[in-house]
Amino acid sequence: MELAHFWGILFISLHAMVPITLAAIGETIEESAGLFNIGLEGILLLGALAGALGAQASGSAIIGLMTGITIGAAVGLIFGVISTTLRGSQLISGVGINLFALGFVALMLTVMGAPGFHSVARDVQVPLIHLGVGSLSPLVIVTVILAVAVWWLLRRTQLGIWIRAVGENPAAADVAGLRVNALRLGAAIAAGAFAGLAGAYLSVDWFGAVTKEITAGRGFIALAIVVFSGLNPLLALLGGFIFGFFDGLATWVATYPGVKDIIPWQFVAMAPYIVTLAVVAGVIGRVKFPKALGVPYMRE
Amino acid sequence: MGEILLEARGLSKGFPGVWEHLILDHLDFDVRAGEVHTLLGENGAGKTVIANILSGYYDKTEGEVLIRGNPVNLTSPRDGLAHGIAMVHQELMLVPAFTVAQNVMVGLKAPALSFGLAQVERRLDELVVRYGLQVDPRARVEDLSAGEQQRVEILKVLFHEPQVLLLDEPTSLLTPGEADQLFVVLRAMADEGKGIVFISHKMREVFAVSDRVTVLKLGKMQGTCHISETTEDELTRRTFGETVPDYMERPAVSSDAPAIEVRELVPKGLGSKAPATGMSFRLRRGEILGLAGVAGNGQTELIEAITGLVPPSGGEVWILGEDLTGKTPRAFIEKGVAHIPERRREIGIVEQMFVAENVALKDYRKTPFSKKTVMNQSEITTHAQKIVERFNALVPDLWQTECRILSGGNIQRLILGRETWRKPPVIIASHPTEGLDAKAIRHTWELFLELREQGSGILLVSEDLDEIMSLSDRIGVIFEGAIVGIVEGRGADRELLGHWMAGTTSEAA
Repeated sequence: MELAHFWGILFISLHAMVPITLAAIGETIEESAGLFNIGLEGILLLGALAGALGAQASGSAIIGLMTGITIGAAVGLIFGVISTTLRGSQLISGVGINLFALGFVALMLTVMGAPGFHSVARDVQVPLIHLGVGSLSPLVIVTVILAVAVWWLLRRTQLGIWIRAVGENPAAADVAGLRVNALRLGAAIAAGAFAGLAGAYLSVDWFGAVTKEITAGRGFIALAIVVFSGLNPLLALLGGFIFGFFDGLATWVATYPGVKDIIPWQFVAMAPYIVTLAVVAGVIGRVKFPKALGVPYMRE
Repeated sequence: MGEILLEARGLSKGFPGVWEHLILDHLDFDVRAGEVHTLLGENGAGKTVIANILSGYYDKTEGEVLIRGNPVNLTSPRDGLAHGIAMVHQELMLVPAFTVAQNVMVGLKAPALSFGLAQVERRLDELVVRYGLQVDPRARVEDLSAGEQQRVEILKVLFHEPQVLLLDEPTSLLTPGEADQLFVVLRAMADEGKGIVFISHKMREVFAVSDRVTVLKLGKMQGTCHISETTEDELTRRTFGETVPDYMERPAVSSDAPAIEVRELVPKGLGSKAPATGMSFRLRRGEILGLAGVAGNGQTELIEAITGLVPPSGGEVWILGEDLTGKTPRAFIEKGVAHIPERRREIGIVEQMFVAENVALKDYRKTPFSKKTVMNQSEITTHAQKIVERFNALVPDLWQTECRILSGGNIQRLILGRETWRKPPVIIASHPTEGLDAKAIRHTWELFLELREQGSGILLVSEDLDEIMSLSDRIGVIFEGAIVGIVEGRGADRELLGHWMAGTTSEAA
């Protein structure tokens, strides 16, 4: 294998790492606070659509990403309100988000005149950074910085102590004077914003298009990576890279002359999912999660 | 005695939807600088509610709270802390996955992005020395014993340098020795000029630590006095209405038929507590065997093993002379094992089901409650009505009241009724009178003695040594998953039992 292939696979891996990792570290904040949002996949999808529309309407990739973040945060807010003050089922509302997103995005794509596919003009996509050996999205760097920042926030700040206390023992947090539901709501909004950014990255940056299958289960893989990481954003970054690597490898195998004729690409395309499954099956049960994860809190 | 730090005037509280009486009925109470003021009363007297109101956790319905003579309206526990009022709750309010210092940080009012862990640890080191509260600020809470966790709770509030400290039954998880250590700490705090409100229902503790004592009964004041002006008998009369006997007299029952026989039993779930050899004991029919011990020493696991809920990992369980090891809970029930569980809301009843359904929970598939798999509602209603009346449960409606809205005491009455009406040959009762009032406790004890005379073998698991000593024919102590010893109930040596419970066998023997 030539060196160029190494760089090629590495760059695809890094790009594939971004959406999963972003969604996973947002969800890490949320699960630390005791909420469990299975609707990440739906938020990714809505973020992808919103990002594309925002970028096109404004002619700016940055505005596109911001639109994705805003829509994601809004869905996170709705989920948060249902899970805290309304004490609803987090599972059901998460599933609801996924179903809504699937239907809504498919409908919008049809309304926009291109059923199933909508491409984003190249001049409103995020510009790549050209390095000697390839081109890199700036969001790769942003993702690494955010992972470190969220790790720092959760493990090395007063706010992190509060967020984790609310997830571990909301009654104790309440007695200590914390506003349990407000903290949880904030965490839900943050998780939504992260997932929204991840979605917008798919359409405005990586793929330059929206399809209704664009997320391809990445929201669920992000949930799996949260489990793998044991709520550690740095491990989530690693997990995201591992998935990204297999994704990149699959893409390389599927397109490289000589190799693609020997191994059917369908098999290789399965690799990231199988690896995720294997990794999660290996760690599940060994990782400790917040005691009050998924349980609404009421005082008296 | 110093100035009045905290005062309540005409304090009242009524929870919505609760019948009987006001939880607190126009109460006057104060605590002064430098004193330990004990609130004495049985379960359900309203002690916890007062403390929760005074600390800002609950709202009051009526009345006034004054701090150093100024009326205040506390809206939250944090508000209370800001006014120098701190409360240590009965249940541990800790985050087990955090260290001691991190637990303290949860309650800090620091900027969100700051991180003062190191300073907090240093402050805690000082407090540990100042009050002699032995605990490592850097230890993870889940690795600490119950006694140490209790000290963490106290450290947590001391960190805020409160003027008034309210402690709600802080000794409930402690061994007698640990409780004595706590009293030394309380005294040290009072000597610094803090006002301490100590909540208890144990007479011994009241005399060990208090300057003044206020007796509370069903939400009403029964008077306040200096500890030197009263006696144990007088306080007991005021609290319970009558004196608790050391040992309730009962006729001899001559039976040698076995009720429960446990051989080298190793219950599942003991984890690192599992001792090398299993537990062995024998309970006859017509006998009450009391099993004392501090919570978490294997009582729950033992009960799970001898009711069939969790098959043991070793040893045998014989019920009425038959080996039921590894059989299903239903097999145990069919054999005649009644179970009055400790976690009554979780496994004693189904909270979302109606009262009548809960009363019939173990009998619904038998005649006359059902015929050919069809339930007979009128039979169940009649039966439930009988149980409710017999056990004085306060229940608005048999078929419309979900059990979850009932108080713990009323739920317990229903469970007692359901489990004992058939006069079962084997009864396993865990903390059976917790949350009941004095009259109901008395009735329960009499019921147990009556069932004993009629041939029931009763295993009574309780943390309340008074209850164990009053009722038991024999008393065993469980410590770290092993039965330390079994002695005769009549004339049992309380001190010896205390040592056994604390695991200091060698010194006592």
